[in-house]
Amino acid sequence: MTVSALTRPGERDRLIVKFGEIDWTFCLVLCLLAGAGGLMQFSIAGSSWTPWAAPHLLRFGLFFALMIGLALVDLRVWFAAAYPVYLVGLVLLVAVDVFGHSALGAQRWLSLGPIRIQPSEIMKIGLVLAIARYYHGLSSESARFSWRLIVPVLMILIPVGLVAKQPDLGTAVLIAATGGAMMVLGGLSMRVIAVGVVGAICAIPPAILFILKPYQRDRILTFMHPEHDPSGVGYHILQSKIALGSGGLLGKGFGLGTQSQLNFLPEKQTDFIFATLAEEFGFIGCFSILFLYGAVIFMALRIASTSHSHFGRLGAAGVTATFALYVLINGAMVMGMAPVVGVPMPLLSYGGTVMLTVLIGFGLVQSVRVHRYTEVTSGKGSLL
Amino acid sequence: MSEPSIFFSEVNERQGVFTRRTFLMGGVAGLGLTALGGQLLRLQVIEAQRYQKLSASNQFNFRLVPPPRGLILDRNGVILAANRPNFRLLVSRDEMDDVNTTLDNLAKLVPMDATRLARLKKDVARAPKKSPVSVMEDMTWEEFSRVNIRAPELPGVTADMGEVRVYPFGGAFAHVIGYVAKVSEADVKKAGPDPDPLLLNPGFRIGKQGVEKARDLDLRGKPGAQKMEVDAEGRVVRLDPLGDKPSTPGKEIRLSIDADIQNRALEVMGEESGSIVMMDCRNGDILCMVSAPSFDANRFVKGLSGAEYKALATYERLPLLDKAQYGLYPPGSTFKPTVAMAALEAGVDPESRVNCGGGWTWGGRTWRCWKKGGHGSQTMHDAIKNSCDIYFYQTALKIGPDPIAKAALAFGYGQIYDIGIPGQRKGIVPSTAWKKAANVKNPANQIWFPGESPSYGIGQGALQVNALQLAVMCSRLANGKKALNPRLIKSIGGVEQPPGDAAPDLPFTPEHIAYVQGGMKAVANDTSGTAYRQSQLGLGDVMMAGKTGTAQVRSYDKVASRNSASVQWKLKDHNLYIAFAPYDAPRYAIAVIVEHGGLGGATAGAPRAREVMRTALLKDPEIRARITQTTNLPDANAGDVEGAAPEGVDAAAAPDAPINPGDLTPPPPAPTGDSPR
Repeated sequence: MTVSALTRPGERDRLIVKFGEIDWTFCLVLCLLAGAGGLMQFSIAGSSWTPWAAPHLLRFGLFFALMIGLALVDLRVWFAAAYPVYLVGLVLLVAVDVFGHSALGAQRWLSLGPIRIQPSEIMKIGLVLAIARYYHGLSSESARFSWRLIVPVLMILIPVGLVAKQPDLGTAVLIAATGGAMMVLGGLSMRVIAVGVVGAICAIPPAILFILKPYQRDRILTFMHPEHDPSGVGYHILQSKIALGSGGLLGKGFGLGTQSQLNFLPEKQTDFIFATLAEEFGFIGCFSILFLYGAVIFMALRIASTSHSHFGRLGAAGVTATFALYVLINGAMVMGMAPVVGVPMPLLSYGGTVMLTVLIGFGLVQSVRVHRYTEVTSGKGSLL
Repeated sequence: MSEPSIFFSEVNERQGVFTRRTFLMGGVAGLGLTALGGQLLRLQVIEAQRYQKLSASNQFNFRLVPPPRGLILDRNGVILAANRPNFRLLVSRDEMDDVNTTLDNLAKLVPMDATRLARLKKDVARAPKKSPVSVMEDMTWEEFSRVNIRAPELPGVTADMGEVRVYPFGGAFAHVIGYVAKVSEADVKKAGPDPDPLLLNPGFRIGKQGVEKARDLDLRGKPGAQKMEVDAEGRVVRLDPLGDKPSTPGKEIRLSIDADIQNRALEVMGEESGSIVMMDCRNGDILCMVSAPSFDANRFVKGLSGAEYKALATYERLPLLDKAQYGLYPPGSTFKPTVAMAALEAGVDPESRVNCGGGWTWGGRTWRCWKKGGHGSQTMHDAIKNSCDIYFYQTALKIGPDPIAKAALAFGYGQIYDIGIPGQRKGIVPSTAWKKAANVKNPANQIWFPGESPSYGIGQGALQVNALQLAVMCSRLANGKKALNPRLIKSIGGVEQPPGDAAPDLPFTPEHIAYVQGGMKAVANDTSGTAYRQSQLGLGDVMMAGKTGTAQVRSYDKVASRNSASVQWKLKDHNLYIAFAPYDAPRYAIAVIVEHGGLGGATAGAPRAREVMRTALLKDPEIRARITQTTNLPDANAGDVEGAAPEGVDAAAAPDAPINPGDLTPPPPAPTGDSPR
């Protein structure tokens, strides 16, 4: 297909053309990561497809198809849906606070018939869409620093507060960081950023002491000295580090990771899947996986920067920020560089909800790529 | 849209800022990934070995494999202490949700009364977590399999097979070998800050008495380890036999004791209380060392019930006490050969005579001979044979206490022998030096009163010896040359222990030794000897030499009779006998003490000595050869009434305790008079 063909009016709206515009290299990398996840699920179940590997791959296939479908959805539809999705997410978050089911002492789930919904996951997408939508109509002058920024700040703080109350510290941090990253990308003044960073650092110690629940505080404090408490809270970190370190350069071999096979690793199929991988495939395997994650982030950011609409740019970059935060927080946690906060490794970890969120997000990213030349109607700074 | 130029420039500026910020964000993400990669490098490449070690220690566990305890054998290889398989039941608190319910369920499966159950609950609650408590030992196969079948209903309960100590002869060796029993807290404390892990192993038994205690570390061995793969909950996933470390069995200990002689000795003691020690008088090996009555050491291995222990501890004949080593007695007339030796060494002419008229007045009182009518004119030889008190009163007075003490020490009294087991008492050999040292607080009593010497001469007074020392004395005299030391442990783990004849010579003139031996030969073989009939072995020309003795345990008032059957057991005299055989070429020496055995060493001591001596002699192939060659059997009629008559008949003549100490006799301890034979 020549460039001249694409410039023909209406040509870009043909489905087959859109299909070809999807970044298939990006999709291949996602498949590789999810495949590696399936491989590890297979290994830790004692070379069995059940209970984790088969559902993991099946879900990925399903959500991958959903992502392709979403990639074909016109960016203007995304634009129009931005505020409603955000509002639905907000309502559900309030609902979960009132009616939600608690799991492990935290209220995170909402049952709608047979489907269990975790509203905080909807909010991850909703917030990215809403902020992108809002910034789309904002001048760069206002984005730098003005009273108009009160709106995105509130957009961020309300869901963060609700999620933190559940309590789900990991997701709250993730949502807050994603929102912050989007404001930075939107053009927030460097001076304000500097003040914000310093303020945040100063706020951490009192927050740890007064706001956090005791178990949350324990997690953070033991993260700093895991060896002091090898059988209590520090146990997870220590065992994870042992799994990683004992993998060495080449790993113990597929299916031979003793730390995971003998249950020394906690949450081995979900939050600590990376440690399992590290144990069995060593430094080489880990490095390859980190490289693939880096590639995903790089490609997604490139897609964001090629979009002609500010909504598309910020939306794709916001999703990428969420994804990068997942990877970095989980990686740091598994390697003993951050407290245990319950953030999974996207695409590797077992669990449908996060995979769905990530792939819907990448649906947006792909839609931004497919529709990179689409003009999105500008609405200046108005919410509706 | 109405002002395209402004709109576009605005858009362009936003895009420019965004692109720059995207680079920033990409950079931050890249930095983060690099940091992760760096940490990976540190953990997986630089510190990999450390974590590999940690991983292995997670993965593998070692289960302690207790070593088999070393056997204890007699001199001929007869097993005295061994191990047998034992089905036992362990309970550990860690796995149990509700200890009490589980134990209640258990009590329905195996016999367990309420008090035991209560004690068990307390034990389990007190034990450290994960450390199993032994609930029951020695289950029958039926009980063992019943518990195994119900295992799912009994979390934390395991039935397994261990080893338990067994003493095939029950009580015959209880005081020598001792026994093993549960490890007490004190045992663990004694082991220091880093105790042998075996001590904490359930079912482990530690030596508590005798050889088992003294040689515990030799017998214990070194534990091995069974390597196994475990999961995070500590469940065994797989065994790894290639990684096992075998245990080192405990060393085998061979005693100098002969099981046949020991058993015979305990047998002849019957219900009596006392001790028999026999030694090989050629090399000092202890052939038997019995303390009677004894107890079944196997009971202690299992754990004694409170009532059982109380019964043993409070019985008046003291079965738990090792009388051979710990019991101290006045040697009575068995001391007379020692006094005779002292006199000979002091230059007393053995042929000079002393007239015994049944009593001797000296120092304001009358010193009586056991024979009311007296023995008449006595040489030293006669005096030993007849056990004449008057002769030895006077001889002791003549030579004084220190030469007697010197001879007594040379014969082995007044010292503790290192025979490898604890529990010996030294006894007392009085002398002027001893008197001084013993009465520091009472200077008036520090001098030796001449009135003490006559009593000393007949083995009474402050003199105190134990049965082992009596046997050593007899062995040294029979050996005639060496100051033999007793040896109980022949070898440990195949390493021969130093023999008892690696000792200096006796400081006595050989003629004098032969003379005293001759006296003892007469005791047993002259028809007029005090133990003639009781000492006939019936083994042809293999004959025994001996010396009787009676140790007085109280002062007698004038009314009570000493030899009446009506006298309460506890108030009767101790009955002693020392002997060696064959008298022409001595091999075996024996000492017998029968507590409260009654008057006269011949009645209770000599017949027992004879029986044990016969066992020893008949086991000796050279002696048996000699007996079968002998044609001239002893004349059955040679036994004569005088010697056969029980010695105690005239014993009522025993003198009273000094009624009037006068200026010659000291304040207490006063010689309580004679009683000797």
